[in-house]
Amino acid sequence: MLLPPLRYLRPETPEDAVAMLSDVDGSVVLAGGQTLMNMLKLDLAHPDALVDVHRIDALRGIEHDADGTLVVGAATTYAELARSPEVRRSHPAVAEMAAGLVDRQVRNRGTIGGNCCLNDPTSNYPPLMVALDARFRVLGRDGERRLPASEFFRGTLATAVGRGELLTTIEIPPMPQGSGVAHEHLQVGADSWAIARAVVRLDVADGVVADARAVLGAVYGSPLRLPEVERRLIGQRATPDLAEAADALQDVDVQTADDVHCSAAYRREMAEVQLRRAIRAAVERSVQ
Amino acid sequence: MTTNDTREITVTVDGRRETGVVSDRTLLVHWLRDALDKRGPKIGCDTGNCGACTVRWNGTLVKSCMVLAVQVDGDEIETAASLAEEDGTLSRLQQCFADHHALQCGYCTSGMLMTAADLLASGEEITEHSVRRALKGHVCRCTGYHNIVKAIRAAAGQEVPPPHGSEPREAEVR
Ligand SMILES: Cc1cc2nc3c(=O)[nH]c(=O)nc-3n(C[C@H](O)[C@H](O)[C@H](O)COP(=O)(O)OP(=O)(O)OC[C@H]3O[C@@H](n4cnc5c(N)ncnc54)[C@H](O)[C@@H]3O)c2cc1C
Ligand code: FES
Ligand code: FES
Repeated sequence: MLLPPLRYLRPETPEDAVAMLSDVDGSVVLAGGQTLMNMLKLDLAHPDALVDVHRIDALRGIEHDADGTLVVGAATTYAELARSPEVRRSHPAVAEMAAGLVDRQVRNRGTIGGNCCLNDPTSNYPPLMVALDARFRVLGRDGERRLPASEFFRGTLATAVGRGELLTTIEIPPMPQGSGVAHEHLQVGADSWAIARAVVRLDVADGVVADARAVLGAVYGSPLRLPEVERRLIGQRATPDLAEAADALQDVDVQTADDVHCSAAYRREMAEVQLRRAIRAAVERSVQ
Repeated sequence: MTTNDTREITVTVDGRRETGVVSDRTLLVHWLRDALDKRGPKIGCDTGNCGACTVRWNGTLVKSCMVLAVQVDGDEIETAASLAEEDGTLSRLQQCFADHHALQCGYCTSGMLMTAADLLASGEEITEHSVRRALKGHVCRCTGYHNIVKAIRAAAGQEVPPPHGSEPREAEVR
């Protein structure tokens, strides 16, 4: 397919990129292009210029702060995250998510920043970022803002990144001692679009859940955090029986829709199944 | 000559330096096929799903329908044409595809070969499962995949059943 006419720009630094994004009318960030190219082909996005950030060194790379915070450049690819021994050790769920994304070719191009900035309901990373209390560093003309995941994801295909802004870095706090993180999904095929997705994090101390996150993906809007479920997890002994906390989902108004894969009712039911499984798996993974 | 939205690019394609003038919106797969007549990469889905357009970009496997030609300026691209010897002798991998009936119409084949070559070069363990998983980004409408998996495992030196209907020794030759 022929793309609409557009200009291609390749800045050298994050600051150059921000200058282009603010100065060039109708310019948008091009990261891995594994969604944006299709949006252009299908006439779903109509930018006048693409600002390619994939090769900016300052936006790539994986580091750990002194306190163990994982600091990931927004343009770091899934393949880089999947094969990093450091990420596998400190934040295994982040590496596993990358290793199970789409396919070999897309993993080589797709970026964690692009995945989060898209914030499609089927995007893999947003619910995990909410469960891990990630912080997002967003650079604009007037400097940098640092946002918690709860403020970053704003709704279907919407984030806090405004016009002229660039997500530069994602910071993921160190996993508390003894915590277990699990993500479970029902997918259309292996490593494919999710029909239902749940992520659970349990911070376990002396066999008791000290803190918990329960988050649904693949629902309408942004990742859905479930305080009702978390309340039922916190303070309880970390045993597989905890999966019953997923019953609380029946009182939550989970917004979703019928689509080509399934009905909204089926999706809701499957979300509960994934949540139960994720709780059980997080219990197993927590070090007690 | 470069105007606002066209520019000159120089790319090493299958070991040869190629120069061309492209519009910013030109997809890599279109430039390779239409300007350079490199017909290895095919356009199947044009949406990143089928893998028929798979090439290597600076050694990294990508789908060339999801990349702009201007993005690869100054870089190196390998298509399936780079796999055979210069005199046309097929590589071991290509010969295994032929021996094991791993292609019928051939439309998916050059993409499959690029991914198979990438997998074999990666040092990852080659098993039925790892091969199938590596081929996730590819669609073949003819073979049913079994023979493609066998061909790749054979190229890795593994023993696989001979192709259906072949003289037993045909598959043993290599
Ligand atoms: C066949 C196929 C199947 C797929 N299946 C899945 C799937 O199951 N799950 C899934 O999660 N994804 C899936 N994807 C999408 C893929 O993961 C994309 O890589 C991802 O959605 C976007 O990342 P990207 O780096 O390619 O971003 P791009 O496509 O380049 O950009 C996506 C959007 O984010 C913006 N953006 C990107 N980076 C930044 C930044 N640093 N700052 C500000 N804005 C930015 C862009 O302007 C654009 O609007 C699939 C893609 C394909 C081709
Ligand atoms: S044509 Fe590129 S993936 Fe199908
Ligand atoms: S051989 Fe025909 S599509 Fe694979």
